[in-house]
Amino acid sequence: MDSNIALKADHIVKYFYQPEPFEVLKDLSFEVKKGEFLSLTGKSGSGKSTLLYVLSTMDTDYKGQLQINGELLTGQSLNQLAAFRNKHIGFVFQFHYLLPEFNVMDNVMLPALKLKSKSVEEIKEKAYQNLKILGLEDQALKLASKLSGGQQQRVAIARALINDPAIIMGDEPTGNLDSKNSQMVFDIFRELSHTQGQTIITVTHDEEFAHKSDRIVEMRDGVFL
Amino acid sequence: MMLSTNYKIAAVHLTSRIKQTIVALLGVTFGISMYVFMNSFMTGVNDTQTVLAFTALAHIRIYNDGPADNTNLVKKVYGQNTLSNIRNAKVIQYTEGIKNTAAIFNLVRKQPEVIGITPQININVFFRNSGNKLNGTLSGVDVENEDRLFNISTYMIAGKWQDLQYRPDGVILGSGLAQLLSLNIDDNVNVLTSDGVTKNYKVIGIFQTNVANTDKTKAYINISAARQLLAKNQDYVTDIQVNVNDFEKTAPVVARLAPVIPYKVESWQMSNQQLEAGSKLRDIIAKAVSLTILLVAGFGIYNIMNMTINEKIKEIAILKAMGFSSGDVTSIFLTQAMVIGVIGGFIGMILGFIVADIVNHIPFKIGGLNYLPMAYHIKDYALSFIFGLITTLIAGYLPAMKASKIDPVDIIRS
Repeated sequence: MDSNIALKADHIVKYFYQPEPFEVLKDLSFEVKKGEFLSLTGKSGSGKSTLLYVLSTMDTDYKGQLQINGELLTGQSLNQLAAFRNKHIGFVFQFHYLLPEFNVMDNVMLPALKLKSKSVEEIKEKAYQNLKILGLEDQALKLASKLSGGQQQRVAIARALINDPAIIMGDEPTGNLDSKNSQMVFDIFRELSHTQGQTIITVTHDEEFAHKSDRIVEMRDGVFL
Repeated sequence: MMLSTNYKIAAVHLTSRIKQTIVALLGVTFGISMYVFMNSFMTGVNDTQTVLAFTALAHIRIYNDGPADNTNLVKKVYGQNTLSNIRNAKVIQYTEGIKNTAAIFNLVRKQPEVIGITPQININVFFRNSGNKLNGTLSGVDVENEDRLFNISTYMIAGKWQDLQYRPDGVILGSGLAQLLSLNIDDNVNVLTSDGVTKNYKVIGIFQTNVANTDKTKAYINISAARQLLAKNQDYVTDIQVNVNDFEKTAPVVARLAPVIPYKVESWQMSNQQLEAGSKLRDIIAKAVSLTILLVAGFGIYNIMNMTINEKIKEIAILKAMGFSSGDVTSIFLTQAMVIGVIGGFIGMILGFIVADIVNHIPFKIGGLNYLPMAYHIKDYALSFIFGLITTLIAGYLPAMKASKIDPVDIIRS
């Protein structure tokens, strides 16, 4: 496999069984290059989020093959996949999903504490650096629930970056933000992909956001347009 | 380090919703304190019962059971098919009492479990004080050893038990018997045996065991005086009473002695099954009640853990998305259950002790008791703690398993 390929999906087919059998992803194959900033767009029900969750390894109920960084993920156990996500995938969700009872620093550090490849001191240093890049170093010791929506989303990005993942996946990362904060998040993503070679796959409704990214993949009724 | 991360999450969950944690803690605390209290109380009652029972009862009794039913000897010789007609058959008792007691004493004393042994001559007699006649049991006893086994001296309400040793003319009466015969210290009482022998004794003491039946029917004289009364030799004994170090464990001693002693060897459990049944039944009730309480407490924990997990379902999903395994999630929630179990257990043991101590001070003046009985055994406390921990672990395990099975996609997408 080309070492320049971050993610490769091969003939992905997925059915929903409720309320009745329905083919939501119809034999999708595509590749994402390293350092690419890709937007998945499409109307509600087009299957774009479903595809993202298959790519994220969280959804294992599909046919076809999925490779990330040359590693075949299809068929691995849930715990193996959890360990893989921990090391190689960062997530940014629409509703930021921080742990509200932990402070910002702890939230950012959690995936690294789980990974255990560095000492706590190194992780702290790295988390602080990430927060600094995102302009949040002053908020480090605040409770996550005390931050504004835009700040929380930036914390989520800092958390997604903590283990230097191969891919950052975003599910409507700007869906809940005003235009100013959306712009900020977009700028951060572009900065990451262009200057640090970070691969980014986001699902978005936001036309403007999508058009500014490197590559748009539009979906309708389970197929790429 | 991973564990400490899980512990940290568990700690935040516990402290961020302190009220629910306290409610769960109270459930365990209450359950365990009731377990401690109920068991201490029941053990106390059983101990009291045991003490009362063993004022008149030895752990093992050796006695002459009398001959078996030998009235139809013809049948033994000619078999079942022979018709025999024997009317008004009589039993001839060849031996009365126990012969060769010194040898039996030696044999019994050699058993390592035996802590006390005393001979008795028990005679059914009439006690008479002029017009008043009452039948009862006159016990001829070895004064010192009798006291060692039954602590009679502690039940004396008048006179001294030890005086019996030097007073072949003295008798110590049960309080009920003395009252019914209108007798006091230094009065005379006349004793009539079944063989028609009468003899006067002087009342030198009165005892009260609070076992009404004993107090109303029993009197003690020196064993030599008893032999004299029956015109028997200095080896004559009707009963040999034996105490062992653990009254629950009479069976092995009986099993060892019975084949080599040509008399009936009977443990207290055999002769007083109702006592054993009573004590066992109380144990069962206590265990049933306290386990029920623990079960209810367990359901409380189960509910609260379930609520916690429903509240934290998004956080669990995000932890899993970030790469926390099912095992991590289980350990996060089991840790919470464990913390609740351990803290609740400790407070419960302390509260249980306090409740037990309060109840132990409630007056209860029946049957020689002053206060409600209570036992303070480390074993009860340890068991309650262990049961409490097991309950919380089970109650926490089910919701923790549920949490570990949460599918992050379902939660994040909905």
